[in-house]
Amino acid sequence: MRRRRILELSAFSLPSLVFLGIFFFYPFLEVLRFSTWRWSGFSTPRVVGLANYRELLADPLFWQSLKATFVFALWVLPSFLVLSFLVAFLLEGQRYERAVKGILFLPGLVTVGAASTAWYTLLAPDYGALAALFPIPAWDQDPFWAMLMVVAFSLWRYLGYGVLVVSAHLKAIPAELTEAARVDGASPLEVTRYVVLPLLRPAALFLLVVGSVLALQSYVAVFLLTRGAPYGATRVLGYFVYQLGFENFRLGYAAAVTVVMLALTLVVALAQGKLLEER
Amino acid sequence: MRHALVAVIVLLVLLPFLWMAYAAFLPPEIVYSGNVLSGFGFTLQNLKKLAPEGFWPRLGFSLLVSSSVALLQVLTALFSAYALWNGARLWAVFLFTLAIPAELLLVPLFGVLHQLHLLDTPWALVLPFAASPFTVLLVFQAMRSLPFALVEAARIDGAGEGRILFGVIAPLLFPSLVAAGVLAFAAHWNLVLFPRVVVGERYWTLQVWIADLARRYPADWGLLSAAALLSTLPLVFLYLLFERRIVETFEGSVKG
Repeated sequence: MRRRRILELSAFSLPSLVFLGIFFFYPFLEVLRFSTWRWSGFSTPRVVGLANYRELLADPLFWQSLKATFVFALWVLPSFLVLSFLVAFLLEGQRYERAVKGILFLPGLVTVGAASTAWYTLLAPDYGALAALFPIPAWDQDPFWAMLMVVAFSLWRYLGYGVLVVSAHLKAIPAELTEAARVDGASPLEVTRYVVLPLLRPAALFLLVVGSVLALQSYVAVFLLTRGAPYGATRVLGYFVYQLGFENFRLGYAAAVTVVMLALTLVVALAQGKLLEER
Repeated sequence: MRHALVAVIVLLVLLPFLWMAYAAFLPPEIVYSGNVLSGFGFTLQNLKKLAPEGFWPRLGFSLLVSSSVALLQVLTALFSAYALWNGARLWAVFLFTLAIPAELLLVPLFGVLHQLHLLDTPWALVLPFAASPFTVLLVFQAMRSLPFALVEAARIDGAGEGRILFGVIAPLLFPSLVAAGVLAFAAHWNLVLFPRVVVGERYWTLQVWIADLARRYPADWGLLSAAALLSTLPLVFLYLLFERRIVETFEGSVKG
């Protein structure tokens, strides 16, 4: 009887499942088929077997954007974690904690297009508003600074979220624990190091999971700020796919790169799922 | 020391907003003088120039599309969350979709919309976002904090499931639903590449339009800032209105 009711009530999830089925699971499977096509999006597709994958393995641009994606992730993940922890600790228990958290959260909600316009006019080398005050590195020409710019923009957007996660876990730590350590003669620094930080491990793992998914998908910033320039230094995989598919109109090839990205994402997600279970 | 550090961080985070609001009213003479800090000035010229570029209808269209998406997402999420709350074993399905960001599916989604003959119609902007695992997560977390006895009591009173969901549960969840709706609205409002790819210029959303404006007038910062400012205001307004609820709903979702 009870089992039948659960089955009946499961029907309530049908609207979601139908939409996710058509616009998530179906494309998820179709991409495998598309990846064996030669297709411009307008032409009639021609089946070419594994030719796209063979081309991909030999394509220096593919390897370059794979590398750019990893470089981006290696920059973003540690700085995202460190900054989230630092700011959460700074804010903890302060009078302005709520207000500042509200402000930090704002960039993540605000339109990317508008935000990148503001960033660009502020920070354009030579003639940006801030260039009048101090020299701005030529991030439009220098691969290192271009990457740093995209990283800074991404951090700006998501810091508020990271702080919120750490802060929520911080507040869940029972006060008795830290008090007991202090009574035992631990200095505030030692309390943080040996009591609080170990308890925040789940928060760090959670941010790592969210952060790597974000790192794999955050190519909108690249599109708006650098367009992959200079010399493809900031052309992350997501942007590479966009260029292939909708600037060069090679959707079959773009689908093959998408398959590689999906495989990467699944591996990362699975590895992290394991990590999260261990906590 | 601590306060100074916080002040610096807040300032850095706010700087682009403050600059945007300032530059939107900057007279072109100053912008084109080569040094924007060379003088002060205030003009409404930039805002007026937006109308002939077709800003206002675009804003209306974007508001319509993003609100429809937010409404649909909250509705489908409410249904799904109720099923999950009643023990439907579908959590894994939503978790899986949560792990794969929809942005990765740009290419196959284009293909599927092509097959369904939805390319270059407003539906291409709405239907793919009618259900979101993230919104389901937010609504489910909020629903879980209610006592299930509410549902049982209503059932004993003979209420149908639809009555229970919309008459009892939804009103109690209203603040969380609003917060989830605002987040859904913001996420859709901010899409740039997807609308650019699946619809022609006729149905471009405001964000795509601004990206294109920046391509056409790369040097007219006053105009660009005015467009950026006005496209940001609806979100800032919504956010300020529901800030507490949004932050709390978010916190609730990450604690779980």
